[in-house]
Amino acid sequence: MDTLVARYSQPMFEKDYTEDQLDMYQPAPSLSLRFAMPPVAQPSAWLRAATDDHANPNCPIKIAHGTTTLAFRFQGGIIVATDSRATAGNWIASQTVKKVIEINNCLLGTMAGGAADCQYWLAYLGMQCRLHELRHKRRISVAAASKILANLVYSYKGMGLSMGTMCAGVTKEEGPALYYIDSDGTRLAGNLFCVGSGQTFAYGVLDAEYSYDLSEEAALELGRRSILAATHRDAYSGGFINLYHVKEDGWVKHGFNDTNPIFWKTKLESGEFSNVTSELV
Amino acid sequence: MSRRYDSRTTIFSPEGRLYQVEYALEAISLAGTALGILAKDGIVLAAERKVTSKLLEQDTSAEKLYILNDNMICAVAGMTADANILINYARQAAQKYLLTYNEDIPCEQLVRRLCDLKQGYTQHGGLRPFGVSFIYAGYDPQRQFQLYQSNPSGNYGGWKATSVGANNASAQSLLKQDYKEDCDLKEACGMAVKVLSKTMDSTKLSSEKIEFATVGKTKDGRIYHHLWGADEITTLLKEHGLAKEDTNADDKIVS
Amino acid sequence: MEVLLGITGKDFTLIACSKAAMRGATILKASDDKTRSLNKHTLMAFSGEAGDTIQFAEYIQANAQLYSMRNGTDLSPSALAHFIRGELASSLRSRKPYNVNLLLGGFDPITGKPSLYWMDYLAALTAAPYAAHGYAQYYCLSILDKHHNPNIDFEQGMKVLRMCTDELKRRLPIDFKGMLVKVIDKDGIREVEYNDDARIACP
Repeated sequence: MDTLVARYSQPMFEKDYTEDQLDMYQPAPSLSLRFAMPPVAQPSAWLRAATDDHANPNCPIKIAHGTTTLAFRFQGGIIVATDSRATAGNWIASQTVKKVIEINNCLLGTMAGGAADCQYWLAYLGMQCRLHELRHKRRISVAAASKILANLVYSYKGMGLSMGTMCAGVTKEEGPALYYIDSDGTRLAGNLFCVGSGQTFAYGVLDAEYSYDLSEEAALELGRRSILAATHRDAYSGGFINLYHVKEDGWVKHGFNDTNPIFWKTKLESGEFSNVTSELV
Repeated sequence: MSRRYDSRTTIFSPEGRLYQVEYALEAISLAGTALGILAKDGIVLAAERKVTSKLLEQDTSAEKLYILNDNMICAVAGMTADANILINYARQAAQKYLLTYNEDIPCEQLVRRLCDLKQGYTQHGGLRPFGVSFIYAGYDPQRQFQLYQSNPSGNYGGWKATSVGANNASAQSLLKQDYKEDCDLKEACGMAVKVLSKTMDSTKLSSEKIEFATVGKTKDGRIYHHLWGADEITTLLKEHGLAKEDTNADDKIVS
Repeated sequence: MEVLLGITGKDFTLIACSKAAMRGATILKASDDKTRSLNKHTLMAFSGEAGDTIQFAEYIQANAQLYSMRNGTDLSPSALAHFIRGELASSLRSRKPYNVNLLLGGFDPITGKPSLYWMDYLAALTAAPYAAHGYAQYYCLSILDKHHNPNIDFEQGMKVLRMCTDELKRRLPIDFKGMLVKVIDKDGIREVEYNDDARIACP
């Protein structure tokens, strides 16, 4: 009885507000949503024990990861390209993953690392960006959007998040802008980034032919070719090449194409990949 | 009639006044005078002691002058008990700053910390404002020697010479008359006792009736503050012909 | 493999840091700026755990700027150094400490003296005429021990710095992508043009 009375006779100022009531009073919701943590001292170590298929092939949870993503700035905007394979251990979980996340019509995010982590938090970032737009009556800058994500993942540092993402966008104030954010909390602005297990292969092709003055056509081809290189050499990358071009008036999608025909076309027409033979010897 | 607006500090009267704050100021104008003069090489604070008795232990009962920090002292006018709370607060604030930054708190910041506290008591309900005005004398490397004054409302300001307490209006006008822009500490001390002798009720001063302190720089550039002993005050009074004649005990010390 | 270097002279402090941002076996960025200016006359350089470095540096930067706004004056380099030490020390005793090494270069406009503070992730603070973090310590401190003195002018300071970076290029097994050099003097903080294209041969 006493507890009942106490519950309903709380003075106004001590009232426990519900989450969405609080949301209405706060100028912006706190960046970090409150998740229940596993009741252990080190969440990340615990998570690793349960999910690290490298160390323990019999681990109970197999997280989908393994990726190649890239993005680079050039005179005509930003090229964003990814593969589409999701792996869980040695198992190819999917060949048709969308690793480019359309935050809004001028902002793109890419996902590498934990698929669920990336999807969840980039969707959350999309929500924050839309709220920013509604509150301030103008689109969020890429710098601000990337910093929301960086601060967010930093608040979960050491708890086992695994993400390597890029935010690409064009705004009036910044022009074309590209940021790299990972789950360590690193946030870097730059011209060119490759992220994922196939990053080294993509870097190899991309670095050699990259220049800021690339034509639009050459830039798209270079993005495509770099992902192709990675899908060819990295077992954890493959599937389709997802290609985007971010321009001043929004991004344009340049297809979601199977790597296989592209590979053979490249090999047979350009004479590349000469280590692969097309005849039976 | 006016009960409606002066029983609580947080309520404005229809004329837009806070009576409790004004009453606090009134209480202070009954307290012993305190004054401060800024000189080019230091600052002097002087104050009139109201409680004098042959039985009073002189050096254990400072009534008007307190050390806040290595770089700052202050003179009090008003309720000494209230002042003790504020002085304790200021000392802790100064030490906390020293702990965080490993250097002395700049004078104005310390004054402001105290005034923020004082201001709070003119706004939050059910509390009585502190019945104290302060004169602060201090030094920091940024702004050198500084003299500040604050009152119960939480207002403060920097001054070249100022006074609080009983007769502060006449003291203020005397200071205005006598103040010279580039006087040194010695001249300022002389001016302080002269002004004090005119504003106090008794014609002849003595070391038990006043307190005296200076902030200055030693020859090697260190900042010192010094609360004067009875013999030093007597010497100064003698120098300016303001001492009582029948102080045999003091004579011995001087000669 | 991050390089942080600091050198004081007669009326200036030099802060130099490597431009490479590395993650695993990849250099993600070759023009990284590992410094933040705290106020007009104080610059902080940092290395350590990814994420922690920038979060801590920007936290300190925000606090230093808040102090300047509130009080109308800047904190002195020495006051800032002790403030940072306090913040790092209390973080060290928390559940998730910041893992950051710092150099704090400053010029006190009141005393007219340059200063340099070295601080490691355990919040040990010391003032020094020259200092370094990471592997750079092993190569550069002996050079500075030999060639530095507190009365050197800016040109001589740059010369000593060049000796240090040349040696790093010669002996460090990883390319750190050259150095970003900033100087703090009576006029504030500014970047110094620094040519690191020259190939240094290893004899």
